[in-house]
Amino acid sequence: MASAAQSRIKSISYAKYGYMFIAPFFLVYCFFQIWPLIYTFILSFKGNQANNEAWVGFDNYSQILFGTGSAAGAAAAHEEFARSLGNTFILWIGNFIPQILLSLLLAVWFTDAKIKLPGKGFFKIVMYMPNIITAASVAALYLNLFGDSKNYFVNSLLIKMGMVTESTTIQFVSGEVASKVMVMFIQTWLWFGNTMIMLMSGIMGINPSLFEAADIDGANSTQQFFKITLPLLQPIMVYTLVTSMIGGLQMFDLPYLFHNGANFSKQLETVAVYIYYNFNKGTVDQASYGYAGAASIIIFIITAILGSITFYMNRDKDAIAKKKQRKKAEKQLKAKMKQGGGFSI
Amino acid sequence: MSTKSQYGEVKDDYHKKIMAKSIAILIVCILLTLICLVPIYILIVNSTHASNDLAQNPSRFFFGSHLGDNMKTLMNNLPEDAGKAAKRIAKQYSSTFNVGKGYMNSLIIAGFSTLLTVFFSAMTAYGLTVYDFKLSGPAYTFIIAVMMIPVQVSSAGFVRFMYTLNLINNFIPLIVPAIAAPAVIFFMVSYMKSSFPLEIVEAARIDGCTEFRTFVTIAIPMMGPAIAVQAIFAFVSNWNNYYTQNMILKNADFATVPIMVSKVLAFDKNIDNGVNYLCVTLSILPIVIVYFILSKFIIAGVALGGVKE
Amino acid sequence: MSKLTRTLALLASIAVVSTAFVACGGGSEDSTSSAAPAADNSSAADSSAADSSADADANADADADADADADADSRDSAATPSGNLGDDDPTLTIVCWTDADLQNMFDVYADHSDATVVYQNCGGNGTEASTQYATYLNSGDDVDLFVAEAGWILNYINDDSMSAPLSDLGLTEADYADAYQYTVDIGTDNNGVLKAASWQAAPGGFAYNTTLAEQYLGVTTPEDMQAKIGSWDDFATTAQELHDASNGAVTMTATLGGLWQAFSTAQSAAWVNGTDIQTDIAREFADMAKDYVDKGYVNPAVEQWTTDWTNVGLNGETLGYFYSTWCLGEAAQLEQNGGTEGNWRIVIGPQEYFWGGSWLCVSPNCNTATEAANFVRSFTVDPDIMKEYVEYSGDFANNKTVMEEEAAGDYTNPLLGDQNQFAILKDVAAGITMSDTISKYDQNLKDTFLKTLKDNIDSDTDTILSTFTSQALADNPDLTAGDGSAAPADDAAAEGEDSAAEGDADAAADGEDSAAE
Repeated sequence: MASAAQSRIKSISYAKYGYMFIAPFFLVYCFFQIWPLIYTFILSFKGNQANNEAWVGFDNYSQILFGTGSAAGAAAAHEEFARSLGNTFILWIGNFIPQILLSLLLAVWFTDAKIKLPGKGFFKIVMYMPNIITAASVAALYLNLFGDSKNYFVNSLLIKMGMVTESTTIQFVSGEVASKVMVMFIQTWLWFGNTMIMLMSGIMGINPSLFEAADIDGANSTQQFFKITLPLLQPIMVYTLVTSMIGGLQMFDLPYLFHNGANFSKQLETVAVYIYYNFNKGTVDQASYGYAGAASIIIFIITAILGSITFYMNRDKDAIAKKKQRKKAEKQLKAKMKQGGGFSI
Repeated sequence: MSTKSQYGEVKDDYHKKIMAKSIAILIVCILLTLICLVPIYILIVNSTHASNDLAQNPSRFFFGSHLGDNMKTLMNNLPEDAGKAAKRIAKQYSSTFNVGKGYMNSLIIAGFSTLLTVFFSAMTAYGLTVYDFKLSGPAYTFIIAVMMIPVQVSSAGFVRFMYTLNLINNFIPLIVPAIAAPAVIFFMVSYMKSSFPLEIVEAARIDGCTEFRTFVTIAIPMMGPAIAVQAIFAFVSNWNNYYTQNMILKNADFATVPIMVSKVLAFDKNIDNGVNYLCVTLSILPIVIVYFILSKFIIAGVALGGVKE
Repeated sequence: MSKLTRTLALLASIAVVSTAFVACGGGSEDSTSSAAPAADNSSAADSSAADSSADADANADADADADADADADSRDSAATPSGNLGDDDPTLTIVCWTDADLQNMFDVYADHSDATVVYQNCGGNGTEASTQYATYLNSGDDVDLFVAEAGWILNYINDDSMSAPLSDLGLTEADYADAYQYTVDIGTDNNGVLKAASWQAAPGGFAYNTTLAEQYLGVTTPEDMQAKIGSWDDFATTAQELHDASNGAVTMTATLGGLWQAFSTAQSAAWVNGTDIQTDIAREFADMAKDYVDKGYVNPAVEQWTTDWTNVGLNGETLGYFYSTWCLGEAAQLEQNGGTEGNWRIVIGPQEYFWGGSWLCVSPNCNTATEAANFVRSFTVDPDIMKEYVEYSGDFANNKTVMEEEAAGDYTNPLLGDQNQFAILKDVAAGITMSDTISKYDQNLKDTFLKTLKDNIDSDTDTILSTFTSQALADNPDLTAGDGSAAPADDAAAEGEDSAAEGDADAAADGEDSAAE
């Protein structure tokens, strides 16, 4: 339509619109994200509690990272921060592994043309459902069902079935291990449907002729899975891993709300809970802004490292593979929308 | 033994195997479905029982007859002759878990955030794909880079900042930042790159359409599917956002559904377990119903690469 | 696409309409308690001596004269705010955590004032409120008065951006001559300024289930019960007797938390001395608690303020609770925890103690000064209204004269089988001195200690205390570990970077050694 020179002139003359279109994002992002981030950075170099106005340099970092520093409780502060990092990691690993295994299994089953499964659509819908429920409500739901004593649903049922006695009820909420397992279970419950559907779209993006060829060569489904599906799913698996990892670092609602009594459970304290708690302990000279700020910046650095590693590992393969899947999924979506309505399940 | 019958046997065997596998898979799926649905069923069942009955037998599988009473307590609509203790419980629940107000607040926040998120993300994505300017590359890289930063990282500074701006107990800090949603922009840019013909923009220019009008009247409708998908996710994640809301909204008049649920959980006296269950039920029921109505789109949307929040 | 749009639009409109509908339904009895058209409707501003003498007539008491005099004096000087605070908002806003607690006060107040009183819930319980207030009070939202608990009130009254002096409402220490002194001491900040006033004093006792007491202990009267649990030794002996007689089915008391309340608050030792955490009392208590748990006198899994706490009473699984006076009124904890049949009685128990209490504080952003002054005065100074409040709620008012009268009068509590709890607990109240032993860290330290104790009840006392100290220090960088109570492992670790890991390892090894021994 237009010559190269013309289009160059055009693009130059329209460049200002480019800036105008992206300006709102950058203005808002700087105001509500970048500046608070800098503010957090500043807070991390100031003191805690009554000392909150004073500059303390790297004191907070040395306290929570190495257990040395000015406060008498430096070692304890380090212990608590280390524990919260550990908890975050344990809770994340404990929900990611079962979640990815279960999702992968289901995704393979649901996409296997040979398996005749009635109600596939229904299963997908039900399995995705937990994901849309408010985490606060999920915590409330499980707290009401899995309370520690015989006064709650599950333990009372276990007593009726004779599996525990009134004095040996399972401490689902306050038990050191049981409560962690509960949070892992709930996280898996919340997310396996989502992961399953993402993996399904990945599997459906694989060229079906590969499977046909493998069939003809006599490969069984296990071999097909390990030789074809898994390698080709790698980009989307990495994507799932990264998003899940970032989500894991942010884990807050469930660990924070899943407790008895007035205070959150220390055995479920994740980094996000640690930051929130130190920041929100009460009046200005009661809160530990310094610790909260330092912990935030440490998380920021961890995220940045994780992010850049995965970014460089997958920049090309990932982009190409995902574009393909997206196109395919998008076609399906369009087709679904054309069918319209959608009032049936 | 002829080859044919041998083949037939193998085939039968193969069919049997497939059959057995399908049944096994079906059983697993049914079990998982139960795991997903039973907690919700029990929740609804328990919200129809009286607190005292639940104290005597907490594991009940069938509906009770106290839904109406629990509802009256929650709505603070008790008969005049109710006891002082019952009235006090009703007062506490109704003023903390004002279900209408909670929905309204959540709806306002989630609704406006969703609008802002999809509109401005589409706009930014449009700006990045349609125009060729010097900083478009760096800007896109920046957006991808910040996509992964967890909200907790800046939350301490964010709340202190809102405090100094006097925006505590205000919806603005929960709605306006929705304009900047890097992950949504990332999604929309890839969508536009794959399915938005730039020639249309040229054509519109020739027709004398202004740039902004082109975006609103031509680009947005064409990005329909992507916008619909992201709108659903943005809505759900904003509706469910407890972390930020809880730090900003301290006034009960502004409390959203997640905040109300957490407050009910925090009650240390005047507790009525039946009403507790009812509160949780009411907090999840609307979104579950809407989900089932829209489920097909949502599932297809997740497959389209929905962003995990 | 268009169908999707339509579906979405339909859903959105349904949601909006139904929300509006629900909002209308629930909205009317929102958290506003506008004073009901009061029968005698004397307006707030002119509720002066004339009004009070009318009330005094109604009460027609022998020693009402002296009261009326003192009362009239205080009223003349007290009712006028100093003018430091705004006074242009007709609505009195009180921030608290659950309005249900204040409901009795609002009911009584409705008979004396036409003012619109609104309560603003901030947090679901006291501990949560202590953290949420900080943000709320400076948010610019309307707040005139706020309620604070003993465990954390010092945070707020020592911060001038959070609280204003009571003198801004025209109330001075002279008005509180008849109040229990400790409530005034706690309400006074570090600079000696009176910042908060309590409407209640909180002596505690031991409430027990008479059915169980008769069945297992053969005790029929409160006097006999008191004789059996008059000291901690007797308490333990009786607990053993109960344990044997009931085959372990009934515990002596419901929770470790209640036991702690009775055991600790009567001691004169503070949690914090300077910046040192004091753990002597905690150590004594941990020893006692472990002993009690071993012997089945108390079930450590039951926590205060939970469904379990309520149910052990409802289901007859515990002989009694340690209750403060604010637990004993109609609709309060006693009733909720199974005291509906009137088969509970209160006795002083092994030790005189007190528990909690709430204070009214004034926000510097108060813009309803006259009404706020009237409200605070009504419930913390005015003997007539306080008396009315006591009789209406069963709460223990913060006024010695009123409580002497009530103790001697014909007040009876049907939940306690027509016992008069004031007669039993009034002397306990007079003996409360907690002013110099409370610190702003108390709530946090107490919660942390009880949680640590419960979670580690099977460990030895040293481990419990070192775990507690370590946690307390992590939570409060301002504090230091006191002598003798410090966790040895932490000190070692704090000394040098290198020794940190070793210190832990050593401590672990030590622990193993001692366990082996």
